[in-house]
This record gives sequence, structure tokens and C-alpha cells, in this order.
Amino acid sequence: MTQRISKSKRFFMMNPIIQFFKFIWLSLKILVIVAGGHGGTRNAS
Amino acid sequence: MEFVDLQQKGQKEKVTYDYLINATGPKLAFDMTEGLNPGTNKAYSVCTYSHAEHAWHALDDLIQQMKKGKKAKILIGTGHAKSTCQGAAFEYILNVEQELRRHKVRQMAEIVWISNEPKLGDFGMDGMLLSYGSNIMKSNEMVEMVFEDRGIKWILGAGVNKIEDGVAHFENLEGEFKSETYDFAMLIPAFSGHGFKAYDKEEKDITDKLFKGFMIVDADYTPKSYEEWSVQDWPETYQNPSYKNIFAPGIAFAPPHAISKPRVSKNGTAISPAPPRTGMPSGITAKLVADNIIDTIKGKKELHHKGSLGNMGAACIASAGYGMTQGSGISITTYPIVPDYKKYPDTQGRQLKKTFGEIGLAGHWLKLALHYAFLYKAKMRPFWWLIPE
Repeated sequence: MTQRISKSKRFFMMNPIIQFFKFIWLSLKILVIVAGGHGGTRNAS
Repeated sequence: MEFVDLQQKGQKEKVTYDYLINATGPKLAFDMTEGLNPGTNKAYSVCTYSHAEHAWHALDDLIQQMKKGKKAKILIGTGHAKSTCQGAAFEYILNVEQELRRHKVRQMAEIVWISNEPKLGDFGMDGMLLSYGSNIMKSNEMVEMVFEDRGIKWILGAGVNKIEDGVAHFENLEGEFKSETYDFAMLIPAFSGHGFKAYDKEEKDITDKLFKGFMIVDADYTPKSYEEWSVQDWPETYQNPSYKNIFAPGIAFAPPHAISKPRVSKNGTAISPAPPRTGMPSGITAKLVADNIIDTIKGKKELHHKGSLGNMGAACIASAGYGMTQGSGISITTYPIVPDYKKYPDTQGRQLKKTFGEIGLAGHWLKLALHYAFLYKAKMRPFWWLIPE
């Protein structure tokens, strides 16, 4: 096992308060991608 | 059609239709790998609910033995040289690792990832360049970081061809024939079409016009080299070109080619991932097929709803352990699913703003929220249609 994620980064990843705001930001960001539309490619300008 | 449920098993019935949507998903082709059959030879699957439940009982047994001092080796990944759905196995290996920690037996286990991918993080999508925080990294670097951090070893470019009791035999891209022992394995099988035969009203065999393993749709199936592939090859409406009232969204359509670069071993065996179409793309393509049929019924001549995998984003949130404060999730989004090297030449075919990775507790919460949201949607509760695919 090799520690590839630093302690400070791990704290950031697992801190519920920080992650609560991350959750909101992530939800919105993913929503933009998921609901952001799709289409064809053959007639795209 | 022939019924398969217990009450009417074997009964046959003819059903007429105006429009046909072939949304069967894949056949789990365990038979394409000798000895790979869920629950035998200590190898399991998580491709259906019953498979997953079965796998959990076997893993739980092993955990109990490990608590008594047994050292164990766990092998997780793909069980065929052309398997797809690496994401499901990726999610599973992280969950198993977390579960072993939870039971305090992690030090008793060696966990190994075995995959037909040429690099970690290929996921059948040719890998991706993604933004991770303020950095830009390759998906293989991100997955490597996670695996190393969790002490998971990996074997890549492996085409598993035979399973015996506790032994997986495989060929690698170097053309070497090797084997890996294990005490518990979860291997994703190859996916194939269901082998349907098709006949018209005059009983004439029309299978060739409808199937090419999976169903033929509006893709460009002209054989091309990897360098000639383009996003325009991918279907937009999922309509069969010979029979305009037949559609195949989701994994039921025959892809024009892979997304990952095809690779063969020194012995000529093709070892590379098949293209993934499950999850979000299945939902989006099914919806656009339904919208096009509605338009056609209303008298519109053209199909206006289009959704090529070359112009569609996807989000994958891989659970990496559960628990409201201890859980973790790896969120990866990609846009487009099929890389468009002409449109995004400097970022490996993807738009970096919409292609990113995140690791942490928020990903677990998001996965949990989506789980409930999709169940809500499936039950068609009030405003279900507001929830995206």
C-alpha cells in the first residue's frame, strides 16, 4: 500500500461540512452535464 | 414470442405491432469463457440482483474465514477479452476493499484487478483527460492513484479465456499465457446479442436486415481503421434503416465499432474493451426513441430527436464504500462519451469543462441521492419527469 492521497487531501475528501458544500456544487455541475442537452453529429455546424 | 416466466413457460403467442422498440439489453454471455458461470469455480458476477446477492454470500463466507486467520486472494475485473462494463467492476473492487476494512480483515487479503483494458481508467472509452481540482490528469493516473492508495494490484491487457476452480487463465497483449489463482473472483462476462431470428409476415427470414449480433440502426457500419473512426459513425435516432418502425436504444443497438483503440495480442487475439452503452446513455436514447415515435404518430415525417454518443455527456458515480460519514464516491463525468478528436483535438477528444473527476464523501451522498431519485422516477411519482436520465 502506497500513500498517494495526502492527509490534508483526505481530510478535505472526508470532512462532512466541506463535503456538504461539495455535494451541492457537484450536484449542480453534474446536472448541467446530464440535463444540458444532446443531439446529432452529422449535421452539426 | 415465447413466455419464460414460470406460470406460462413455453407458451407461444403472436403479437402484432405498429412500432417495435428492442430494449432487451445484452445477453450475459458467460458461455463465451470456459468455466465462467456465476457461483461455480469460486467465480461470481454482479450483473443481476440475484448474481450480486449470491456473490455477497460467498464474499461474506470468505470474510468469516479471514477472521479466523485465512489469507485470501480476491480477483475482480473482466472475464473475457472483449468484455465491457469495467466501471461496474471498478465500483465493486473499491466496495469490496472498503468492506474488508470495515470487517478489519483488509491485511489478510490480496486484492487484484484484472482487465482487458490496455491502461487503468480506459473504461472502454479510450480513457480520458479530465480536470481534477485545479489539475488536469489522465484517467489512468487518477485510477492508479486510487488503487495504489488502497493497495490494489492490477493486471492489464488480459483476455481471460478459461476459469477453473480458483484459477483464471488468461492471455496478455504480449501473447503470454498466464494464470492467476484466487479465493473469490467477480468477473464481468462478455455481452452479446440475444441471437434473435426475425421473420416478416410472409415468414421470410429478415434476420440479416435487423441483426448484426445486436440490432442494426442508423450507424455507419463500414469497416474502418481506428484512425478513420469519427463521431459521425455513431447512430443518432436508433432506427433500423430497413424497417422504419423498429428501434433499438440502449445497449441493444449494434455499435459501429469500439471506442477504445482495438488491440491484438502477439498471437492475434483481440484483447480490448467493447464500447459501454449502459446507464445514462440507455435512458437518454430510450427517451428520444419514444419522443420520435410520438412525433411520427402525430404525423411528422422527420425524426427530430437525436442523441449521438458523440454529442452526449455521461456521469458515472462509482461508489467506493458506504456510510453517511465514512462513505466515498468517485464521480467522473465525460463529454462527449465518444471522443471527438476533430472538435477537441488538444484534450483527447473531450471538453475539459464537462469532463472531470472528484473523489470524496460528497460522491457517496450523490450516489445515494440518485439511487432514491431513480427509484422515485421508476415509480412515476409526482413530477417524476423532472428527474433527468
